[in-house]
Amino acid sequence: MAEKLLQVRDLYLYFRTMKGVVQAVDGIDLDMNRDDALAVIGESGCGKTSFIRAILRLLPRNVDTYKGSVVLLDTDIMKLSDERFRTHVRWQQMSMVAQAAMNALNPVLKVGDQVSEPLVVHRRIPKKQALAQAAEVFRMVGVPADFLDRYSFELSGGMRQRAILAMALITQPDLVILDEPTSALDMLTQANIMNVLKGIKRDLQQSFIFITHDVSTTSELADRGVVMYAGHIVEISSAEQFFLNPFHPYSQKLMASVPTLKVRKDLEFIPGRPPTLINPPQGCRFAPRCERRFDLCEQEPPLFALEDGRQVKCWLYK
Amino acid sequence: MEPRENTVVKTIPGEKPSGGSEDSLLPKIKRSHPAWRSLRRFARYTAVRVFTLFCTVAVGIYLAILIANMGGYVDTIVEGTIREAVGSQAANNRAVLLMSREDRQAWIEDKVNAQLASRGMNRPFIIRSFEHLLGALTLDLGRAQFLSSDSGSKEVKRIILERLPITMVLFTTGSVVVFFLALLGALFLSRRYGSTLDRIVVAMAPTSTAPAWFYGIFLILIFASILKILPFGGMLGSSIPKTPLMYALTVLKHMILPLSAWVISRIFLAIYTWRTFFLIHSEEDYVELAKAKGLRNNSLERRYILRPTLPAVITAFTFILITSWQGAIVTETVFGWPGLGSLYYQAINAFDTPVIIGTVVIFAYLLALTVFFLDIVYALIDPRVKLGKEGAQ
Amino acid sequence: MRRLKSLFMTLGKYPTSIIALVIIMVLLTVSIVTVITIPYSEARRLWSTSSQAWEDYPKRAEPVWTNWFRGGGSKLPPTIIRSTKDVEPLSVESLGSAGVAKETITEIVFDFPYRVHPSELGLTFDAVFETSAPFARITWITPDGREYQVYDSAIYKRRHSLSSDQPLQRALGTFPLLGLFSSPDETLRELSYETATTPQQGTYTLRVLARTFEAESTLDVKLIVYGRVSGIAGTDHMRRGLIIGLLWGTPIALMFGLLAAVGSTMVTFIIAAIGVWFGGWVDSVIQRITEVNLMLPLLPILVMLGIFYTPNIITILGVVILLNIFSTAIKTYRALFMQVKNSPYIEAARAYGAGGFRIIFRYMIPKVAPILIPAFVTLTPGYVFLEAALAFLGVGDISLPTWGKILNNANTEGALFQGQFYWVLEPAFMLLITGLAFAMLGFALDRIFNPRLRGI
Repeated sequence: MAEKLLQVRDLYLYFRTMKGVVQAVDGIDLDMNRDDALAVIGESGCGKTSFIRAILRLLPRNVDTYKGSVVLLDTDIMKLSDERFRTHVRWQQMSMVAQAAMNALNPVLKVGDQVSEPLVVHRRIPKKQALAQAAEVFRMVGVPADFLDRYSFELSGGMRQRAILAMALITQPDLVILDEPTSALDMLTQANIMNVLKGIKRDLQQSFIFITHDVSTTSELADRGVVMYAGHIVEISSAEQFFLNPFHPYSQKLMASVPTLKVRKDLEFIPGRPPTLINPPQGCRFAPRCERRFDLCEQEPPLFALEDGRQVKCWLYK
Repeated sequence: MEPRENTVVKTIPGEKPSGGSEDSLLPKIKRSHPAWRSLRRFARYTAVRVFTLFCTVAVGIYLAILIANMGGYVDTIVEGTIREAVGSQAANNRAVLLMSREDRQAWIEDKVNAQLASRGMNRPFIIRSFEHLLGALTLDLGRAQFLSSDSGSKEVKRIILERLPITMVLFTTGSVVVFFLALLGALFLSRRYGSTLDRIVVAMAPTSTAPAWFYGIFLILIFASILKILPFGGMLGSSIPKTPLMYALTVLKHMILPLSAWVISRIFLAIYTWRTFFLIHSEEDYVELAKAKGLRNNSLERRYILRPTLPAVITAFTFILITSWQGAIVTETVFGWPGLGSLYYQAINAFDTPVIIGTVVIFAYLLALTVFFLDIVYALIDPRVKLGKEGAQ
Repeated sequence: MRRLKSLFMTLGKYPTSIIALVIIMVLLTVSIVTVITIPYSEARRLWSTSSQAWEDYPKRAEPVWTNWFRGGGSKLPPTIIRSTKDVEPLSVESLGSAGVAKETITEIVFDFPYRVHPSELGLTFDAVFETSAPFARITWITPDGREYQVYDSAIYKRRHSLSSDQPLQRALGTFPLLGLFSSPDETLRELSYETATTPQQGTYTLRVLARTFEAESTLDVKLIVYGRVSGIAGTDHMRRGLIIGLLWGTPIALMFGLLAAVGSTMVTFIIAAIGVWFGGWVDSVIQRITEVNLMLPLLPILVMLGIFYTPNIITILGVVILLNIFSTAIKTYRALFMQVKNSPYIEAARAYGAGGFRIIFRYMIPKVAPILIPAFVTLTPGYVFLEAALAFLGVGDISLPTWGKILNNANTEGALFQGQFYWVLEPAFMLLITGLAFAMLGFALDRIFNPRLRGI
């Protein structure tokens, strides 16, 4: 059984827009182990959603560049044809929980049909049986079974998110990717969903990647954290390392901006704005906003591998 | 509103009736509940819609009658024609010429009144307009003044019924052909955004500003006048075909040009509209998610693009149908197609009021029925409407 | 102004819209120039069927430039006009004793190098006298010298057709056109239009012997050899040059189309805004009216109006706008206004006490108005074709020279049957490029102004 679940090397995804080419994913290297929950953290526009889409091959119409290698278990899925990707990877090996569950369900199909659909399509399981399995997964995520017969607009926000989660789990894929699973929800529901996810991780040993801009909620679930800034990964570390002692100046600022319950501190914010991804500047992309920049920062730093297993993309850690 | 739990209890053979445990009661009512609920809502919704539409139809048709008679103006014209005819009758009648002036006037008046009476025109217009309305709503359209049907009947209803299927054969076929071709084409194109074919179709979309009769003229020019391989117009040509098969073939042959004109004048815009619509729709979150789930393209298109947009698609189709009745007049005139449109034109030129009114009424009815049909279909296919959710439309 | 410039630059990205703009500019220029150089009253005079303006023009003649596509042998002849006014008389003799009467002999010549017969042959007499009408004896001399007497009487009417002169036909034994243009070896009696005879090429002479009987009396004879090509656009069955109809049809089409599109859209827009703002029963009433209006068939009503009242084009325009105000577009605008109504700055306006109409006209309408721009352009061709359809059916403004009217004439006169394609193609072409230009521009504008279509 392979230890490594995912190995990403030199992943690039550029988009063509009216204003120029957006270099959304600009050379990403990443490793991920089985049974890990990996959090991808960053502010809006840093490229984390594009990163996910690059892995899942959910590309828009205006792709300019798309290359690299993504080895899932022991296959480079980038090399697969679209058809093979569809039959072998989509929802069999990787599934997704979408952001903004408001619109993620087809309004004219019953929820049960949609949740059981992957089984029918990929495993050729007859519909009745598939619905039974869907009921099972519903139970696991805390949705009553009679919701199978309902339509999406009859569900509350929290129920919908759980239904979508169930849909992602039903084929027991190797990797589930969640795009901001709790952003659209109120605090109570957020907590609920987080508990569900924790339960699933524990009981099913499910591997997750989840994207978030909300640092505090990820602390409950993540094993490892990846911080993205302007299309690059700037820090990879274990959850503990990240939350207690982030190394990259950007990560430090991120943690400093999170209010804590017990320790009194002044909340910091980061002045300025992230650089545009169209013709991004040379050198370290965070340098313009970094208090600790120095002359080396005019060149782009590589991702330094440190002894404690961290990787940091900053000259300070040479 | 909802039936209370212990009122109606159906006895299903083999199961214990009321008085049994909670468990056996609850599942039964739960099973019938959602279906019963949605059926009642649906029935109520339909009833309300029918009633509203009926009122609207009545008002619309009454307006049509008023306009069709130009508020009594047409009667004046008809009376004028009658007077002229009677006048020349008098001029050619020796006996009348020999009468005294008063006698002659009296004779003329008598004759005119007799004619008016036979046409039912000797009562005030307002009363007759309501009679027309009642007749229209019950489809009793009176008798024609000058025209008559092929079978010799003067009943307006018969005259119109004779021509209506002829119009429908052409225009409904045309609309259906365009609709399905366009949907297929649009689905095909929405997967090939930016390709050469896509760009060609988009560039050709403006050709649909020209109406069918316009292209019809060109087609007649090319195929009937220059190439001489298709007829100039009409439905049956000069000789009446003897066998049903020959009949069908002749009709088909005469249908080629008008149908082509119809399709050409609409197809590019239709494909463009649907393709753009589907493209916009493909950006919906649930379509993306469905693609991520690894569904095959056919399934994706059918369940995630067509199904949710079906209300809009059907609306547009009905709208196309509605406007198709309108264009019928000119197109039928250009092609000499003996349908409702050319009947209308003939009736107007002959000042045959009942036929004019009857045809306008039928047009109005067709439009009303189309709107009604649309509403029903909307209710049937959109679960948000079926279950009574507000704001679904 | 800056926004206009950026609009043009964005439009530049769509090549079809550039072509469209160019065409529209050309049409507008043609309209303006036409209206200035041929005033409306003049155009109506020229177009009326009782006008004498076209009497020297042939019927159903093709445009002159079609000859460009024909080889030497099949080139169609143009109209040739010769008048005795332009030539010195060969001889002038006094007659009789009073010295007042004169006999003048004049010869007018023309070259006929064509191998297709002219369409008609006619004479126009310009006679000046008080009581005694002049007398003319006119001889037709073929290139090979044969002489035929074609006229021998006093002048009693202004125009005389040689080609439909029955006595002349009997005398010649065949149609005058065939006979007068025959070759020496042809037997006149055997000539007919079915057999392919070519007219004799060469120089023809018309000898006019005119006798005037008063001192101040004069007689001039004009020979008109009606051709088969005429003008830039050809002629119709009433000899009218189609170019007048084509030129004047432009401003009429543009005016009708634009006014109808702009007028009905703006009123619809305002009504939608009012309905959304006041809500309640106002909105309901508007909805009901829209539904009723949906069931009134537009074209049948217009046709009726046209036949019963023979209205002028302004009335037609008015009715068209009226019947199109409560259209289904109201629903679209209503949805947009709903969105705007609930926005914060509208709330702020209500807070400071702005009244309903002020809010509608100063805030809601300007915010949503940009969406109208593509609508104006896209709806125009529909109305242009509507006007053409009405004219085609013969129920429009019948005295106006419009493209639809030309099509109507062509249709009733069987142009397609007789192969006079130009008659149909020219107005059709004008309609087509007008419609296409507006449609293409409208599509491009739609892609710019409709946010949902960006990037598609």
